[in-house]
Amino acid sequence: MSGYWSGILTILSINIIMAYAIFLPVATGQLNLGGAGFQAVGAYGAAFLSSKYGLSVWETIPFAMALTALVSFLIAFPLLRTKGVYLVLATFAFAEVVGGAILNSTMLGGPMGLSVPAFVEYQVPVLGALLVTIFIFYLMATRFGLVMRAAHDDDVVTDLMGVNVRGIRVAAFTIGGALAGLAGALYAHSFSFVEIQGFNASLSIYVLLYVLLGGTQTAWGPLAGALFFTMLPEALRVALPALKGWMGLAMGFQGARTAPDESWRFVILGILTVLMMMFRSEGLITRVMVEKLRFRHHAVRLARVDAPA
Amino acid sequence: MTAPTPLLSLHNISKRFGGLAVISDVSFDVSAGARMALIGPNGAGKTTIFNLVSGFYQPDEGDIMMEGRAIQTIASRHRIGLGIARSFQNIRLMPHLSVTENIMLGQQARAGGVVELLKPLSFFGHSHWRDEAQALLKDMGLHTYPGEVVANLPYGIRKKIEVVRALVARPKLLLLDEPAAGLNAAETDSLTGFLKRISDTGVTLLVVEHDMGLVRRLCDHVVVLNFGRKIYDGPTANVQNDPLVLEAYLGPRDAASPAKTAEGCHAA
Amino acid sequence: MLFLQQVSNGIMLGSVYVTVAVAFTLTIGVLNFLNFTIPTLFMLAGMLAWALSTWGVPTWGVPFVHIGPMPWQAALLFAVAATVVASLLVERFTFRFLKTRYGDATEHAIPLVSSLGFLLIIENLVRIGYGTDTQRFPGPQADMSVNIGGIFLRVPQLVSLVIVLGIVAGLNWILRHSRIGRGLRAIAENPDAANILGVQANKLVPVVFMLTGLLCGLAGVLFAINYGEVSPQMGDDIGSKAIAGMVLGGLGSIWGAVIGGLIIGLTEMLTIHFFGADTVQVAVWGLLLLTLFLRPQGLFGHHSIGKGKL
Repeated sequence: MSGYWSGILTILSINIIMAYAIFLPVATGQLNLGGAGFQAVGAYGAAFLSSKYGLSVWETIPFAMALTALVSFLIAFPLLRTKGVYLVLATFAFAEVVGGAILNSTMLGGPMGLSVPAFVEYQVPVLGALLVTIFIFYLMATRFGLVMRAAHDDDVVTDLMGVNVRGIRVAAFTIGGALAGLAGALYAHSFSFVEIQGFNASLSIYVLLYVLLGGTQTAWGPLAGALFFTMLPEALRVALPALKGWMGLAMGFQGARTAPDESWRFVILGILTVLMMMFRSEGLITRVMVEKLRFRHHAVRLARVDAPA
Repeated sequence: MTAPTPLLSLHNISKRFGGLAVISDVSFDVSAGARMALIGPNGAGKTTIFNLVSGFYQPDEGDIMMEGRAIQTIASRHRIGLGIARSFQNIRLMPHLSVTENIMLGQQARAGGVVELLKPLSFFGHSHWRDEAQALLKDMGLHTYPGEVVANLPYGIRKKIEVVRALVARPKLLLLDEPAAGLNAAETDSLTGFLKRISDTGVTLLVVEHDMGLVRRLCDHVVVLNFGRKIYDGPTANVQNDPLVLEAYLGPRDAASPAKTAEGCHAA
Repeated sequence: MLFLQQVSNGIMLGSVYVTVAVAFTLTIGVLNFLNFTIPTLFMLAGMLAWALSTWGVPTWGVPFVHIGPMPWQAALLFAVAATVVASLLVERFTFRFLKTRYGDATEHAIPLVSSLGFLLIIENLVRIGYGTDTQRFPGPQADMSVNIGGIFLRVPQLVSLVIVLGIVAGLNWILRHSRIGRGLRAIAENPDAANILGVQANKLVPVVFMLTGLLCGLAGVLFAINYGEVSPQMGDDIGSKAIAGMVLGGLGSIWGAVIGGLIIGLTEMLTIHFFGADTVQVAVWGLLLLTLFLRPQGLFGHHSIGKGKL
């Protein structure tokens, strides 16, 4: 496989894992705008063990997941006491505090970042994403998944049904944290280098947006969101030159200022977000849609059973 | 007469919000197997009683006893385990869950424990819980809708599904908050039959309802509240002749306000 | 003396935060909407002021429309006006489309999410158009200063502080005493009841966005004059600090946002003074996190705002 495609697969895998990390709290009704902070904890946890103690990835990755899960678990209690806008702000603030703390830590390299000696090939993130996807699909099919979605729809009634809503939310937050830690560790080992500037507020925003764009009612949504978001620049490679020319003409730019191609991707992500919120706020893939496809399948099966009788 | 311990009994319950006394010194018993109605003009405190029994509020004074045990300090989420389930005035089903999933949520109180939480609810379309939920839906004549997402269903159907969701927890006491509100005559008839069948299985019903027709057909016993006080507690047949009840609904003979008269005509 | 100088610098810096924080608190107080486009509107104003004074308005190929590079004073006016227009555009596409059908936990976040979308659009369009570099704003001499008892106060900053306080006082007066203000407060209290009582939310909501645009525009151009440079990233930091100031003061409280913004500015300068520049992020956001955990209503906030399901 060419380096180009293995690079894309790596990024795609990390994005998928990260999408599921944010999806879990969102599925219980808690918007998490601090994804970058949790990912940074995992990335730096793995990077530190690898660079300082020379541990192998099979040791650093579980450690990173456990560490991030622990941090998420501990922060979840005060965090989930806040509601609505306050929760969004608190998760955002948490990510900033993590970023600031790492920036000031000489042990973690501060603004210089850390290099990560243990390197993993693209197969490891791909395997990780595969396992995480299977895990989430399983989780959503259990009573835990049912209760999570119920807490999203109406936490008062869910409580009345005998569900410990806070317990469920803390659990979802913690599992999400472990996944963010996994995404961070895989990032660190795939790119052999971490710097805190990469885990900024924009990253938190992108992740939340592509999860919401994909849809949070089913496990398919984050998958679709991450896939779309990662593949968009590839699609743009063809369309971008024309787009650039057109924009240049329309806005009358002077001087040869070249913006990073990334900007185009984010403009498109932004436009799609706005359009999606206007016309289909529940995201691309909804429960009704999945149910319809399943019904069609079911109907076909029923027809087959009925036919001989 | 040595009556057996009532299923639910309220002893001198009072509840204030700020300076406003919403419930003042209300006591009544609901005996096991009864079909009882709680009626009264708007703002009389009926829904507040439900909220006290289901644990949303704590009473300021008095005891709420379930089978002889004081429950007012028990958290709302543990009350379904004691056998108390309820429906809501404005339907509160989970809009994004399917009908079956809503019913399966009702099973939650019986499916405690982490192991049950992590077992799949659908293994090739089946599981113990799913099959049970679908069987119950079928029993109740709602089997045509198992996979539909609730938000898309008609109002009357959703009303019934909410009752079934409460029922699947196998409660001893079912609190129904205006089950007939917003239903047309045919739907109300269908609901009355539906509730009678539920009652025949041994579930005790406590119903808040404005539709006196439904109350008369369904309930044998009525408690009337007015401004947070109990003004009547007795058989349904006598309620219309009670002077206090008449006054509450129609106002004192001369000073009947038009709004209250309208309300009274509707209810009585 | 150095300490006092830092205090004065903190207040000056805080006054920029104050303007943006007031914009935040206004939208959240009246509309229960955390508008994430505010930092980009601030940035847009600064960048447009720079672009207009150095490049002029794009022509779209039409002759005679082109307005050449203009004096900085005119550029400031145009930039503020354009920011107001952009803010109204945001209203068209975010807030108008709020539909609550199920009332579930994340549905109320629709405007918030689309404002995040707009944040990406505006910020990246500016990057595409004007590049990512920091640009020098050719304004008046930023380092013109007066010396009061050994503390140097830069004149443009002093002027900005006065303007900012004037705006806030004016805004406060409008909210309390004018017809529009009463309508806005009615919407904040209870949108449905306000609607029944004849308050036309459709006409008043754009007013909030207009004020938001105006505040952001002014803050942006004042920043450009005071600090002499602009960049597409300038909104990120200011926006974050303004959010922190707003939360500290209490969501929905205008004077709360003023005090909160000033406290954040002071915290920042004093943290730099005592612990060095790298600790600022931890100090400011740690303060915010503590506020959220311990006293979510902030110093002056109303208990109910922002608490509704989101």
